[in-house]
Amino acid sequence: MLLFVVPVFTVAQVNAIKFKVLPYYSPYQNTISDTSFELKSKGDYKIDVLRFYISNIRFFNKDLLVYQEQNSFHLCDAAIPNSNRFLMRQSEKIVYDKLQFDIGIDSITNVSGALGGALDPTNGMYWTWQSGYINFKLEGRSTSCNTRNNEFQFHIGGYAAPFSSLQTLSFNTTNQRDIVLVIDVNQLLNSMDISKQSHIMSPGKEAVDFSKIIARSFRCIPQ
Amino acid sequence: MRKKVLILLLLSVTILAFRSSDKPFSDYPSYFPKPVYDFSKNPLSPEKILLGRVLFYDPLLSRNNMISCASCHSQFSAFTHIDHALSHGIEDKIGFRNSPALMNLAWQKLFMRDGAVNHLDVQALAPISNPVEMDENIAHVVDKLKRSPIYPKLFSAAFGDSVITGERTLKAISQFMLTLISANAKYDSVMRKEAVFTAQENSGYLLFKKNCTACHKEPLFTNDEFMNNGLPVDTSLNDFGRYRVTKNPSDSLKFKVPSLRNIEFSYPYMHDGRFKRIAEVLNHYTNGVNKSATLAPELAQPIVLTTNEKIDLTAFLLTLTDKSFLFNPNFFYPKEIFLSTAKD
Repeated sequence: MLLFVVPVFTVAQVNAIKFKVLPYYSPYQNTISDTSFELKSKGDYKIDVLRFYISNIRFFNKDLLVYQEQNSFHLCDAAIPNSNRFLMRQSEKIVYDKLQFDIGIDSITNVSGALGGALDPTNGMYWTWQSGYINFKLEGRSTSCNTRNNEFQFHIGGYAAPFSSLQTLSFNTTNQRDIVLVIDVNQLLNSMDISKQSHIMSPGKEAVDFSKIIARSFRCIPQ
Repeated sequence: MRKKVLILLLLSVTILAFRSSDKPFSDYPSYFPKPVYDFSKNPLSPEKILLGRVLFYDPLLSRNNMISCASCHSQFSAFTHIDHALSHGIEDKIGFRNSPALMNLAWQKLFMRDGAVNHLDVQALAPISNPVEMDENIAHVVDKLKRSPIYPKLFSAAFGDSVITGERTLKAISQFMLTLISANAKYDSVMRKEAVFTAQENSGYLLFKKNCTACHKEPLFTNDEFMNNGLPVDTSLNDFGRYRVTKNPSDSLKFKVPSLRNIEFSYPYMHDGRFKRIAEVLNHYTNGVNKSATLAPELAQPIVLTTNEKIDLTAFLLTLTDKSFLFNPNFFYPKEIFLSTAKD
């Protein structure tokens, strides 16, 4: 009888693809909850909020779409353990040479009313005064910012032309079962002058420009 | 056996779904267009509508539990806020605009005076979060609903289990708002050939069709578009309307064309409530239109109306009053629900 309760690895589990999204901060800040970190020298920064959507994950082989995750919306929050890990179960082993996904929420979803799960407006990633998802949130403090408490605050969204801030990322990677993505916050903050622009809170040209910087800050790490 | 049970179960679910999706929304006239709202994503049911109605009247939605949706949207005024040019919210803070009347929302694509909200389901988020309206946030509202003595039961009845989420809360509010259909004014009786206009109303109707109908299109009395109707900018507000949302200069000073249904009871008029009386509105269109780059082309030439014609036109506008809407008990404060908690 015991035989029946022995866990058996199903085909789906064997073929599963695991995602891990890791933030990389300055060498001095290890985690987002590192409250002891003090801003001392010029350029020091501390991240308080880092949350973003990874959506619409799809795989290509020789430029042909071979797999597309259904209902593919993942809210990664650096303050919530394991929100940066997710698993895609599929019954067949997919052979691929390119991974593609979006940072943010597509325009159709943005006009589809109240949605649940990762898209529930209670997650704090939905604008209220003007409809639309916030694709990417980054908040913190930096000695570079001459703002109250040295704060910077970037809420990047916007789905309608000409201010769509949805970014599609492509990585050439072959048949990995463990995919590790890194968002290099250090590079992101160094790619812009946060002393001049320390907050973006609405769709517009600034948000679109920022979204391009976000896109350049992602890397796919070969395992 | 198991298969049979499953089929039976599926069948009863289907029947239930049919019963609930079809009934509450069949009450609009055949001469209305097809609704914009996608009911397949949020099929109406009496239980969800009731939940939405309770939420609509519950001040729990505000930070200090004092302001409900109904505070600025009272039924007797076609769900707007009369007596105030700019509506006021939490702690008597004065808002930026006049609250719009709520009716026939299933036929509207965009919401708010400037169309900042793109779907009825997410509209409630705007007043809930606005610091001068309810100053709350939806996550905290959901927490309060979970701790409430009435809502877990209402959510169970509506959704089959007591899980309370932002999505369910917003969809329930939409359900109630979708039932706010005004289609039973004297105008509608005339359209249905159950009544006739008086000579004066008929004269007003002809004037209406000549001068107003391009924007206030029958039978909803709005074209659901954004237009600049030539109001001079109030420099104390500097409200440029739709431009704020699209940042496109061609949208400057454009505001959503409101329905004229129940206009008799939904004063004051315009996005900033600058006109208290229908006569002032008509005088604006005949004498007050301010020319600017984005002015509605329909208003490029002034509308000409004699004093008598204005009276006739007003007589027609009063045929848009729908008492069965303004006093429909299905939209009342759900005192039976709130009083049941008072006893506990």
